[in-house]
Order: sequence, then structure tokens, then C-alpha cells
Amino acid sequence: MTGKELLLATYRHESVERPPWVPFAGVHAGKFKGYTATEILTDVDKLTECLLEVHRLYRPDGQPVVFDLQLEAEILGCDLMWADDNPPSVTSHPLADTDDIPERLVQPGDGRLPLVMEATRRLKEKVGEETAVMGLFCGPFTLASHLRGTKLFMDMKKNPEHVRQLMDYVTRNAFQMIDMYLAAGADVICPVDPLVSQISAKSFRDYLTEPYTRIFDYIRSKGVPSSFFVCGNALRNIEEMCKTNPDGISIDENIPMATAKEITDRYNIAIGGNIPLTTTMLFGNQQDNMKYVVDMVDSVDPRNLIISPGCDMPYDVPIENGIAVSEAARNISMYREMLKDYEASGDDYEVELPDYEHLPRPLIEAMTLDSAQCAACSYMWAAVQDAKAKYGDKIDAVEYKYSTREGIARSKKMGVKSLPSLYMNGKLYYASIIPSQEEFFAEIDKLLAEQK
Amino acid sequence: MLPEEILAKLSEAVAEGDEDASLELVNEAIAAGIEPLKILNDGAGKGMDVVSEQYNNGEAFLPELVLAGDAMSRVIEVIFANMSQEEAAKSKQGVVVIGQAKGDVHDIGKNVVAALLAVNGFEVHDLGIDVEVKTFATKAQEVNADIVAVSTLLTTSLPYMSDIANYIRDTGNREKYNIIVGGGPVTPQFATDMGADGWSRNAFDCVELCKQLMARKTPGKGEIILIDSEAK
Repeated sequence: MTGKELLLATYRHESVERPPWVPFAGVHAGKFKGYTATEILTDVDKLTECLLEVHRLYRPDGQPVVFDLQLEAEILGCDLMWADDNPPSVTSHPLADTDDIPERLVQPGDGRLPLVMEATRRLKEKVGEETAVMGLFCGPFTLASHLRGTKLFMDMKKNPEHVRQLMDYVTRNAFQMIDMYLAAGADVICPVDPLVSQISAKSFRDYLTEPYTRIFDYIRSKGVPSSFFVCGNALRNIEEMCKTNPDGISIDENIPMATAKEITDRYNIAIGGNIPLTTTMLFGNQQDNMKYVVDMVDSVDPRNLIISPGCDMPYDVPIENGIAVSEAARNISMYREMLKDYEASGDDYEVELPDYEHLPRPLIEAMTLDSAQCAACSYMWAAVQDAKAKYGDKIDAVEYKYSTREGIARSKKMGVKSLPSLYMNGKLYYASIIPSQEEFFAEIDKLLAEQK
Repeated sequence: MLPEEILAKLSEAVAEGDEDASLELVNEAIAAGIEPLKILNDGAGKGMDVVSEQYNNGEAFLPELVLAGDAMSRVIEVIFANMSQEEAAKSKQGVVVIGQAKGDVHDIGKNVVAALLAVNGFEVHDLGIDVEVKTFATKAQEVNADIVAVSTLLTTSLPYMSDIANYIRDTGNREKYNIIVGGGPVTPQFATDMGADGWSRNAFDCVELCKQLMARKTPGKGEIILIDSEAK
């Protein structure tokens, strides 16, 4: 089964060999190539280049094109504040001081939609056979708040009819987005509505049930699965979300996965999430991320489960943490054992480090999760093998796999923080990012010259 | 209506976010000769307590909160207009400078906190969104603040929270102001590590946090206070 088949089967609620993995690398994709969030959200070449790099290293089963909830708002008249390391934010609300409901809907040629749809087509062309391309758009309730501002919440109590009219308008915009993504080849369509966590189940029923039921019915009528993304503590609305009949739901760390899945399982709906963005993905290490995945999978029935971050990944999530999640997701049993070994080993497994100051020739040590399993590790080890092919006996090269107790003990002793990484003569040169051949060989030449 | 009945109805009107009824009842209470402070504490304030409890129990949400806060703000305007300077000073809980950390424009949560602090008797100076580090310190000095409150929804703005605390410390003012932080990615651990005086989970917890800090009177010195009613 390809990753795409795995994800689509999960949305059909079939039992699959492992839960699929979907990284929400929105602006985080820019980090892979050193581009800012603004650069990748305004330049289709840079965006595609980054998405393909995310694909290469994270090996996703499903991959969003962008995670930008301001795309439609910008077209409909909201001002945006742009940032280097975040998606843009809405700074003005064009409907804040008027009760008029606009008529014009977003159109394929508007704003940055041509860029996003072109990136969708390119991603589909390059990786669409093996990976499901996911089209994300701003959920109608969040789009309504972008347009109306805080007044939307007052309207919900004081002017319900106006809210219904506004919801109808933003829902018609949602249909436009769905059509555009389908035309560009998206395999899964996902409305992202973080503000759902801020309203009661009754408000959900009053204002969101009808629009969302229409949205998911429409997506289903096109033969494509859907997933309903929410952020924040939306536990009280999970059941209402299920009743709108999406194929999947995605939650963040504010909702315990086991609790939410009990509900979604009753409706036979797939659920994705909920690796904590800050404490685990951004500030945690690789073991923290692997452990979260293993513990999460072990805490629930793995059918109807999708492994993904809680929401859009922060720009600066260390790439090695994403790799760790990817690898753990693909081989739960191996990493479950590895984590046990990590906790158990180290002190009782003796390893001796080389005398790095007096090596006869440069020593390259590739610290990997396991190059036979992990894509990023295999690229790193391939780079070392290329060097070995070029330099022959002038250098020594060895791989230490984290899947062995020796590898774990050695990593601990050397203080290795990221896998894969490359050490030369005991010194860290490359972490997570695979060096270009030119750059790597230049460093080896330098060492050879020094050690002559 | 008896004074107790007026206050009970006022509490109910505020809790329901009924602005017209709240205004009518607060004027009726004043006309009935009820002390403004009593109207605030035993009438309108109790209505906010009801919403607070409902919010913490998951019975009220952002729309209810925004509406009740709005009704309470109108009531407060009437009450303060009828208070002597002495009474107004007596009812003041403290001075808070609040703003969204640099780089962040998401202000729904911060606005709710500011409104709740104001209706709970705090003098609030709202610096708005995307606020420079030094602006917090300058404003705190200008208004002789008791509390500097910083919020963010973005992980990338977290370092600016630390910068604010460091700047206030480096300019020799750390023991003048309590520094409190909150927002989606702000964890208790982060707040502790950056040296904040307090952290709270939500807007209502923030009001309790500010009250506790005002009672403790040890800015920059005591152990951090962490309030999370949702964890109960």
C-alpha cells in the first residue's frame, strides 16, 4: 500500500497496517530551504521547492499544500500583517462596521489563489502517486470572524439572523475553495476552523451544523474524503462535529486523544492529531517526539487513527523532531523497543570513543536512527558512502544506528542531540539537513589537509 | 423592588449579557439609594462571577463572555459616574498595563482579559497588539503600574516575553511590577523559566491571579503563582 492508499483507506475507516502520518508543515516548510514564511506564501517556486523537501525528509502519507487561514480573508478585504516565521495575521475586519453581506465570492484568479492552486498541481504531479495532496481552506466560522471581528460573538446573541446570513456567505466561499482544490487535483479537502473551540455545542448547532453538513455532503458528492480541523479545547464540540459527517477530524493537544477518539469511534470517523506543538515538537527532543507517538498509538484503537501535529507546526520546529515523528509513525513496534532500550541502556553498555585528537585519517561517523528504515538517515548515509567512494582509504566512515543498544549508548556518550547527524573527528558538522556534496567534500578536503 | 431584589436582578442581567436591562437596573439601584460600591460588588460583580463559573464549567463560551463583559462595562460607567473620588479610589484593585507581545496581532483573548480586569476594578491600560518590548516598561513607569500583563498566541513571540522581563529587571524596576504572561503556547514551565510572577490558563483565572498578586505585594520576588481552573 502506498502512503496515499493508507490515508485514503483510513478515511474509508478500513483497518490498515499502520496509522498514516500527516505532517502539517505550513510555514515550517520554509525552514527546509531557509526561506521565510512570507517568501513561501508568495512565491510558487519556493513553496514547491520546500514542499518537495518536506516530502523527501518527512515521507508523509498525506501532505497539505499550505496552512494559511488568511488566504480568503485577504481577498475579501482584510488587511494582513506578514511575518518571517508565522503565517500572516488579519489586522482589520471589513465587515466590522456594516451589516451588509457582500455578494462577491473568491474567484480562481484572486489574490494568492493562483499560486496555491499551481503549487497543488505541482505537488500532485511530483508526489501524487504515493502521497495524498491535501487542500486546506479557512473554515467558515473563522472566516466570518476575520470579516466581522469580535462583533461576530455579540451578533450570535443579539443578531442571530445576521450571523446565519454571514455564515451562508462564507459557506458559499468554502464551496469555491473546494472546487478550486478539486480542479487542481487535491485528494483530501479540509476546512480548518480553530474558532470552533470558542463556542458552545448549542451555538455550534445553531450556526455551524447546517453549513458544515452541506460542505461535507458536497465534498463527498465529488468522491473525495474530507477532514474537519479544529484547534484549542473543542472537546465539547467533537460530537457536534461528528454529526456534520466528515470523514475525519483533526484535533490539537488541548483534547486528550483517547477521550476524543471514544467519541469519533462511535460515529466511525477517523481522527488525527495531536502531537503538542510547543512542548514536544518545538522544545522537545527526538525521544520526546517518538515517545509521544508511541504512547498515543498505544492508548487507542489504531483503526481510524492518523498521526499528525496538533495544528500548523511552528516554523522553527527542529527538522530532526519531524523526522523522529515520521520514523516512529512508520514503525511503531521498532521504536517502542528502541525507547525502552533508551531508557534502560547507556550506563550498562560500555562504548569506547576513539581518540579523536590522534586519528590516522579523518573519521566520519553517521549517527542515524537506522538508514535501512529512515529516509533522511538513508540520504545522510548515502552522502557518506559517496565520500567513501571518492576518498577511499584516505578516510574512515562508520554508521551508528540508534536502533541498536550500542548506537544508543554511543549517542548518549557523544551527546548527540539530532538524528541523523554527521560527525567528523568527533565534531558535529551536520544535523538533520543533508549537506550538498560540494560542501561536504570541501570540509573533508580541509580535514585531509590539516591531518597530513 | 427591594434593594436585594434589584441587585439580584442586576446580577442576572449582567450574567445574561443583557445590556439594556443591566443599564435600567443599575440606574434603578442608584435611584433607590444603594451605595455604588455595593451595586458593584453585590450586584453586577456577582453576575460576572456567575459567568466565570459557567465558563470554567464549560457552560459559557466566548460569545457569552464578550456579551456579559460588554454589559458590565456599561454598568461600571454608570457606577463610577455616581461615585465620589474617595469611593472610586477605594474600589480600585490595581493598575495593569496589558498588551500583545511583539510580532503578534491576535487580540481576542487579550481583549477579553483586559475587559474582565476592568470590570473587576482594575485600572487597565491596553497597549494593543504587536507591542515593542520597551513600550511595556515605559507605560508601566508612566502609570505607576502594579502589573505588566503580556499575551501571545504565537510561539515566535515567546522570546519577547522574556525580553520584557529582562528589560524591566535590567533597568532596575523588577521589584516594582508583577509580570504575568498567558496565551496558547505559554506553558506554566515557560512562565516559570522566564521569571514571571504569574501565569493563568484563561481570562477568569487571570482576574484571580491579579487579585492574589495584589494581595501578596512582592513583585519580582515571590514564587510564581500558577492558576489553572480548567485542570481541576
